[in-house]
Amino acid sequence: MPELPELNPVVHGKLRLALLSLLVGVEEAEFTWLRSKTGATDGNLGAQLANLEEAGYVSVKKKFVQRKPQTLYRITEAGRAALAEYVQALKQMLGGAIGV
Amino acid sequence: MTVNVEEQELKDRLSLIETMIAEGRRTTESWGWTFVLWGVAYYVAIGWDILGHNPWAWVITMTIALLLMMTILWYKAKRQTEKSPLTRAGRSISAIWTATGISMMMLFPAMGFSARFSPQIFVAVASAMLGTTNAASGIILKWKAQISCAMVWWAASAVACLASVAQCTIVFLVAIFLCQIVFGSYMMIREACQRKQGASHA
Repeated sequence: MPELPELNPVVHGKLRLALLSLLVGVEEAEFTWLRSKTGATDGNLGAQLANLEEAGYVSVKKKFVQRKPQTLYRITEAGRAALAEYVQALKQMLGGAIGV
Repeated sequence: MTVNVEEQELKDRLSLIETMIAEGRRTTESWGWTFVLWGVAYYVAIGWDILGHNPWAWVITMTIALLLMMTILWYKAKRQTEKSPLTRAGRSISAIWTATGISMMMLFPAMGFSARFSPQIFVAVASAMLGTTNAASGIILKWKAQISCAMVWWAASAVACLASVAQCTIVFLVAIFLCQIVFGSYMMIREACQRKQGASHA
């Protein structure tokens, strides 16, 4: 019986997974947009984004637009690869679980 | 490091990924009105040109339409409380339409001023350009309705090469009606329905 793959714990966190999945479809996104899509609190969202940044899965860019601060997040190549690997592992595990 | 997970949790994670990817790609932007605006502008320019015999009819009407569109876009962007991020498909489509718009704004006035202008050539070239742009957008969006518009424009382009000036004008008017006014109105209705659905999910 083939060995089941391991799931990346950084990607596996529910909010972190939601963030990576949101970011994979767009070029870059503002903090406020991510907050409205996930419904997370500022504190939790900030902490999870910091985890993803630390892992090298997202990059952060801060700028001022009309004198207002704006934080933009973008998924990195490593983040894209980690998400793709995670999805692959999930499918493999589910295949094993349902006996495919 | 391994995470022990139940089968249901795995399925939930997969479903979360799908939902979030779709959510990220959902757009609240509306572009149907631009099709209607340019359709009406073409009608005004054609009517003014034929009935008013004004050589500046096209240049003036197209400039006003462009300024009006940019003003509406600026106003909409200013009113927007939450800016949607740009998707790759969105950037591609925007690039295609911008490039076509610039080409048309450069080519047609130059054709007019050079006195090498003929109605048939104008309709053939404009229709071919609009056919190409609609086809590219339609292929990116996998939208059959827009690909159908492209086919109408291509047919108009081919007919314009063979027809008389009067026939060519009629063909152009019909293509504008179908691909700008009707398609633009359909797009606006569709976008309104999508916004309504989005609001009810929120």
